[in-house]
Amino acid sequence: MTSGNTGIQQIHDVGAKALGWLYEHREGFRLEADPAPEAGMLDRFKPLGELALIGKVIFREGVAGSQQSALAHKLLDHAWHELLGSGARLLEGQRREPLSPVPLEVYVPFRELGYRQPDLESAIRLNHRLASWAALEVLPVRRLGLSAIERRFGVEPSVPETAALAHTWLARRPEPWTVEGHIGYDITHTVFHLTDWGEKPAGLPADIAEYLELWLPTWLDDWLDLKRWDLLGELLVVDACLPEPTLDAAAWQGFAQAQQPDGAMPVVGDMPEGDEESVFDLVYHPTLVAAFASALAMSRALSDLSSEPAPA
Amino acid sequence: MDQTHASSPLAGAVHDLATEVVLALRSGDHLATVCGAAGIDEENRTGIAAARVIGADLLLPSVLYGRHPHPGDVAVLDRAVREFPPKPDAPAATAWSHWHMISTLQRFAPPPQGATGPGTAVGTGTTVGTGTTVGTGTTGTYAEPDAAWLENAPWQSFTHQLSVLAPLAVPAAPSAVQRAAADRAVDLARGFVRAVRRRDWLQAAGAGRWLAAIGGEPATLGLERGLDFVELMGGHDPRVTLHVRAARLMAEARAR
Repeated sequence: MTSGNTGIQQIHDVGAKALGWLYEHREGFRLEADPAPEAGMLDRFKPLGELALIGKVIFREGVAGSQQSALAHKLLDHAWHELLGSGARLLEGQRREPLSPVPLEVYVPFRELGYRQPDLESAIRLNHRLASWAALEVLPVRRLGLSAIERRFGVEPSVPETAALAHTWLARRPEPWTVEGHIGYDITHTVFHLTDWGEKPAGLPADIAEYLELWLPTWLDDWLDLKRWDLLGELLVVDACLPEPTLDAAAWQGFAQAQQPDGAMPVVGDMPEGDEESVFDLVYHPTLVAAFASALAMSRALSDLSSEPAPA
Repeated sequence: MDQTHASSPLAGAVHDLATEVVLALRSGDHLATVCGAAGIDEENRTGIAAARVIGADLLLPSVLYGRHPHPGDVAVLDRAVREFPPKPDAPAATAWSHWHMISTLQRFAPPPQGATGPGTAVGTGTTVGTGTTVGTGTTGTYAEPDAAWLENAPWQSFTHQLSVLAPLAVPAAPSAVQRAAADRAVDLARGFVRAVRRRDWLQAAGAGRWLAAIGGEPATLGLERGLDFVELMGGHDPRVTLHVRAARLMAEARAR
């Protein structure tokens, strides 16, 4: 379970092992052929959307190493061609639920890497003109994400990003001692949307960056203690998005020790038990987050090396 | 003695003493006697031990309202100082607490007949102020313990230790601990967050009291509302309420 490495090497190894596990288990990212009717069809695309957003960052960051960059690309290729039918499944989903923003959210990171589905783009552009699209009732952090993804797609956000941000929990910079798990995820995702999932750390407004610099150490401490690895990993991503990442040694050490020898990262506590598919469904997300946090932290640590000594 | 929530006679006495301090803080009554109201005098062994736990906060109402303490309270505190001196290998926090009890007694000691300066005796007005440990002039004072260990402590343990030493968080009582606190207000604020998240209300109240005493906490902490929250959630323990009320009184004084 434990890694003998510390510091940058440890952070690197967490990412390399996590990405290795994700590639080995890529068949786990699947669309059920016959989903239960009560389940929203497009809910099944969520893991692929996260894989695309995060995989793209790992692929682009490069510092993860050429081998990891290549693995990330192969994963994305697999997802696009094998699972999404080169976009056909996204189009099919859009036809089933015309007003759903999910196909757009999943599509954009692929599109940025050069994968295209022109018919889906037509549907998205029509949607974007509908008053109903802009009026969709979603949580503030999701609205911010939609505004960001519209920008990335190349259309004007239905709600300006600054206006969308203003309604989020994080933008109000509330009492840090009120943060519970669900607020924790609201915080991390607000940061993800503001920074294009870590690609542009400068997207964090100064007041929010200052707020996070003050209080992120307390949340890292808390969720490390609670062994909630999924949220801890997302908070480590947030750290890597700060103007001066701390690369919190205790948090990374605990995170690395929670990782399994094969690279899987449990959600909370120890690994769950069950058949391969159910275990995959439980741990793919924290494992993806582990690869994500590692890639961003490595990128920031190495870019800082060029100008100043890396944090201890 | 209300021992409804107490697990032992000592815990009950601590509870009672803290409750009386809280009542005195609330009323501002300068005639209040904390120990007398709690049924404790200097011959009461359990009561003296409880006074050692409460420490210099026994005289907190007088410190914060700038009034003379009740002689009975001074006597009990003086007795606690002499009965429970820290052992040579005692934790630093114990030594600091002891030091602060002595300096608080000296703060209220009137100059004795023929003395040339203040702070030369303790426990006057009773028969117990002539002990050898304290109060026989500057040469007899207990030297300020070491505080260098606080400078390098991680913010988590720093806050924990400072919270144990919350009685030192009073106005006009300079110490190396208070200087360390003033230098690390952000770390204390983080520790406050940590304590609240862990529902360690006593630690949170102690950290909040320090922040109220030294100021300089980040505005986004929301200290005033945080103290209200800590009292709401943890106020069944009068030691929590004691720190919260002390914090409010100091914050109000600072705002004036």
